[in-house]
Amino acid sequence: MMIKDFAAFSAVREAGLAKLLPGRPRIAVGMGTCGSGNGAEAVFHAFSSEIDARGLAVQLVPVGCFGFCAEEPLVNVWVPGHPLLILHRVQPNHVDEILNGLGHDQLPPAEILLCKIEEWDHLTGHVKYGTGYADVPRWNEVPFFEGQSKIVLRNCGLINPDDIEEYIAIGGYQALYKVLIDQNPTAVIEQVKAAKLRGRGGAGFLTGSKWEFLAKAPGPEKYLICNADEGDPGAYMNRNEIESDPHSLLEGMMIAGYVTGASKGIIYVRAEYPLAILRLERAIAQARAYGVLGENVLGRGFDFDIEMVEGAGAFVCGEETALIASLENMSGRPRPRPPFPAQKGLYGKPTNINNVETWYNIAPIVSKGPAWFTETGSAKSAGTKVFSLVGKIKNSGLVEMPLGTPLARFIYDIGGGGSGGRDIKAVQTGGPSGGCIPADMFDTPVDYETLQQLGSIMGSGGMVVMDEDNCMVDVARYFIEFTHSESCGKCIPCRVGLDKSLQILNNCTLGTATHADLETLDELCRMVRDTSLCALGTSAPNPVLTSMRHFRHEFEDHIVAKRCRAGVCEDLALSPCENSCPLHMNIPRFLELYKEGRVEDAFLSVILDNPLPASTGRVCQHPCDNRCRRAAIDEPVNMRDVHRRIADEVFLSDKFEGMVARVLKQKFEPTGHQIAVVGAGPTGLTCAYYLALLGHDVTIYDSRPAAGGMLRYALPEYRLPKAVLDKEIELIERLGVKFQFNVNVGEDLTLNDVAHQYDAVFLAIGTWKEAWVYLPGTELTGVIPALPFLEAVSRDDKVPVGKNVVVIGGGNAAVDSARTARRLGADVTIVYRRERKDMPAIPEEIEAAEHEGVKFAYLAAPHRIVGDKDGRVCAIEAVRTKLGEFDTSGRRRPVPTDEVIRMKCDSVILAVGEKVDPDFCAASGLTVKENGTLEVERYSLETSRDRFYAGGDLITGASNVSNAMGIGKKAARNIHKRLMDLEHFPNLLPAFTYEMKPPETPSEFSRHVPGEVPAAQRVQSYAEVSLGLTAAAALEETFRCLRCDVRSVER
Amino acid sequence: MTEKVKVRIDGQVIAATPGQTILQAARDNDKYIPALCYMEGLSAVGACRLCMVEVSGVARLLPACTTPVQEGLAVNTSSPQLQSYRKIALELLFAERNHVCAVCVSSGHCELQTLAQEHGVTYVRYPYNFPKLEVDTTHPKFVLDHNRCILCSRCVRTCAEIEGAHVWDVAGRGIQSRLVSELKRPWGEATSCTSCGKCVQACPTGAMAEKGFGVEEMTKKPAVVGRLTSMRGGR
Repeated sequence: MMIKDFAAFSAVREAGLAKLLPGRPRIAVGMGTCGSGNGAEAVFHAFSSEIDARGLAVQLVPVGCFGFCAEEPLVNVWVPGHPLLILHRVQPNHVDEILNGLGHDQLPPAEILLCKIEEWDHLTGHVKYGTGYADVPRWNEVPFFEGQSKIVLRNCGLINPDDIEEYIAIGGYQALYKVLIDQNPTAVIEQVKAAKLRGRGGAGFLTGSKWEFLAKAPGPEKYLICNADEGDPGAYMNRNEIESDPHSLLEGMMIAGYVTGASKGIIYVRAEYPLAILRLERAIAQARAYGVLGENVLGRGFDFDIEMVEGAGAFVCGEETALIASLENMSGRPRPRPPFPAQKGLYGKPTNINNVETWYNIAPIVSKGPAWFTETGSAKSAGTKVFSLVGKIKNSGLVEMPLGTPLARFIYDIGGGGSGGRDIKAVQTGGPSGGCIPADMFDTPVDYETLQQLGSIMGSGGMVVMDEDNCMVDVARYFIEFTHSESCGKCIPCRVGLDKSLQILNNCTLGTATHADLETLDELCRMVRDTSLCALGTSAPNPVLTSMRHFRHEFEDHIVAKRCRAGVCEDLALSPCENSCPLHMNIPRFLELYKEGRVEDAFLSVILDNPLPASTGRVCQHPCDNRCRRAAIDEPVNMRDVHRRIADEVFLSDKFEGMVARVLKQKFEPTGHQIAVVGAGPTGLTCAYYLALLGHDVTIYDSRPAAGGMLRYALPEYRLPKAVLDKEIELIERLGVKFQFNVNVGEDLTLNDVAHQYDAVFLAIGTWKEAWVYLPGTELTGVIPALPFLEAVSRDDKVPVGKNVVVIGGGNAAVDSARTARRLGADVTIVYRRERKDMPAIPEEIEAAEHEGVKFAYLAAPHRIVGDKDGRVCAIEAVRTKLGEFDTSGRRRPVPTDEVIRMKCDSVILAVGEKVDPDFCAASGLTVKENGTLEVERYSLETSRDRFYAGGDLITGASNVSNAMGIGKKAARNIHKRLMDLEHFPNLLPAFTYEMKPPETPSEFSRHVPGEVPAAQRVQSYAEVSLGLTAAAALEETFRCLRCDVRSVER
Repeated sequence: MTEKVKVRIDGQVIAATPGQTILQAARDNDKYIPALCYMEGLSAVGACRLCMVEVSGVARLLPACTTPVQEGLAVNTSSPQLQSYRKIALELLFAERNHVCAVCVSSGHCELQTLAQEHGVTYVRYPYNFPKLEVDTTHPKFVLDHNRCILCSRCVRTCAEIEGAHVWDVAGRGIQSRLVSELKRPWGEATSCTSCGKCVQACPTGAMAEKGFGVEEMTKKPAVVGRLTSMRGGR
């Protein structure tokens, strides 16, 4: 039907409204590429056949995508007079139930019900669906949509993209009609200028000004081009916009065509977007058939046609001059500007190019005016921008937010934080042309200027979220690899410069690069950025430059320590588990040796990697579990408990003597060097052990009467029986390590004395000073810090703990104190200011505490301790907190409320953290950092004083056993290297031969978890809670390993 | 006679013709700005980026070969940064292909070699690619050695714009870009080639040479291209 006058236009509009809000239920299935990829086709067909079979009066239509990609397929269900319901994760098996509910006013099943829309502002029109369903949240009450402002996406997912009548029904083509009636092109250009609309392709040039150039350019032949060659990895907003609402694009271009005097519009679409191409073709055909496109548009005497051209698949064709070359059937290579396309563009004629999203803003600006448009967004960047939020994020999808919104809102509020609860490290904006913004800068407002200041760009709007599993060096390498292969090859900096950058980055990921290479890379990247011909080249180094700026330490880890913390650079790690282990234990090796029945070899493998395998087998935080690839099949291999089993089989049996002899055989010839280790905790013991193995004469000093440090004095007996620890220490002693107990270095023996007597000194005195909270009432009798409390219990001293104990804190010390107090017969409550999932303690320990009857008060911040008249604790008051904004750690910050909780108690244990004893540091003459830890060189661990090394909690602040031991091991390696000028570490291990073959099929066994003493029984004593794996269970567990350490298999 | 515009190049004021580029104006006034892909008489493509200059008031560096002069323009052609970037670009060219001056017909007459000497390129900081490249000897009179090609496209433009034969073009992209004759047909079998040899004269290195010359013997006459263009009135 040709629209030639307003009556015809209104008639089409009425027809469209009758489709949009029919007199019968309407079901719309989100069938963009994203929905179809998640099974929307099947859902659509299920609805279709079921509606036919039942003969229901239901209208079924396909629509585009409403944006929540993580929850696809999305389905809209509308019953006349009621709100529109949006259902998520709909599968064909839900169809029956949804259709059953239609006639009976029943809501679809709760698990697929997402939200409701009562009325919708299409900006060009308004649709009232109906009210009701009080219990269903409104669409903008769903966290993912909260705060979103849908201007560009106003129609997406609500109207049928294949039906021009539905588009006209919601006010489509009215803006065009108005412009054609007003016949005032200059006014429209002024409106677009006043709206401060900036190009959404990334460069951010003022659209109104660009139009003005074109309007003023001479000649009858002018072109408008829509750049839909969206090629950034991770960006797909343009695809979705075209798939969901192609007519808005056409309308925007036609308005521009009229006001700039262009004769023709061309849409250059990426050939990889078949659905967008199909829907656009249909839209163009319909628009021609309805007389809104072609000759005599809407009967107003204006001629304008739009043609669609499929791109040739080169990324560089997104650059405007390359795009024009491609349209002219030449190879897509950019040419220098000037002349700009507005002067000399397609076929040498004046041309204007805008990004897809820019065109979508035109009709609303014309309808509602520039003042309305500038209400949204920031001062320099008006309006909204659609971002595709993807990567390691919980809620991925298309997000349209006002410009100037802080990054943290995208990541934590809308995105819901990291997928799998992991910590987010950075966000990459702008694709290969953008850069990485680290998590501590997430308060950055997202607009053109601010992102540029950080070395990134907004680009087309891709936001790729990276977590701790992403290696920033590898990310930089990936993007350079991309731009390197997409470079057109015309100019030298981009063609050869990117090739050389890639080679250097490859060397970084292989661990073969040097510091000099990093400098060469930096200079080269700046040269490519400053001298390349087109935007591909000038922006290609951004990922490298920003990564080197914000994540320099990761580059240094790769080249100095040859480590990739994320475990991505495979050449720098044996296996993911080995890479995550602070001690870098060869885990696959001991699993395989145990599997082959070679317990003694397995023990030797374990003990030479880790001198305290039985202790760490019990109390390690097991980071290996988080990295194990077996988790992709079922659950991670229980590596910690297997090495505990291996250690126990030797330490607690008659094999011990034989194994001591075997370890002694590995010892090097005496070197004659004397080394002092201060602190007999896990760090000191580890360092001393390796130095002794390497042939040095080592003496450990400790202020306490026995070795073990925190392991002995802070870890309760029920977690780590001291008999086990004694055996481990005995082995270290028999290696020749000498112990000097009850010596307080710094007081009984000055550091100068030590320096004179020894060739090197390793300081590992740990953190024994409790960090005190400033809380009224801490001076009362009955308030005990956690460490002295645990130490007293471990020494069997009399402990002044009452019947009602409150523990303040959320770490391991808090949980240990609570469980110990339970064993002393007390009623225990842990007060923690955040939620359970935020507690730093090991989750298994929290669970065990719950089983043992420890009570937890979450979201409660202690506010004062109340004393009685004798100065004894009688109660504690805590302020109820609620979760506020996300902080830079990605956890919600607890915000106090007015509610105060009062708990009666007679003892309060403070477990709010420990810190380095500042007195020791001050006396030692060593440089102390602002946070109270000792300053050391990051890789060598050497302090500001020559031949003095430091490690453990002294340099990191309170940490955990395995981290501390890892540092001790590293220190031993560096001290040896310094004294001997040789690297001997790899020689420590005898050459084992063992099977290097991954399992043909993954073993069927599921993860074995050690048995535990029942909770009721264990609160009665200090006996060890975990029973350990049985030999059979440990053996079965070894079969579960997938052998990531095997790189090539002979076939 | 059109009105001249005043342009300041490295502090010295010169009079330039409107419509000229910075590079043309500089050369007309005996001011030297290095360039490899620019050649008098051919269209400018801005590919080698050696002629990048600093223009006061503009944050970005601009290519002198395509930036038109304007009244009052002040240009700095040889700041330390520009020198350093030019040196990098030259090093990149050496690392890209196999430029062995000692065995090259054009040694001593090579624009790349001359520029490297001028810029003090005594070694290359980047790993060499050492690609395995062909030498096309199929043409009876000329030879094309890809090892020495720097993809400046002067031959392409000479053939297309002066001779009108358009035998040459650049195929592939990125580091895989290669000069090709007639959709990758060997030069000797290219039917559109008139064997005029102007491409050889336009080539700044030893990539294109006449047969029968030994090391250091191939001198070129690139000025022939500019002369032809000017004789045709710049068309």
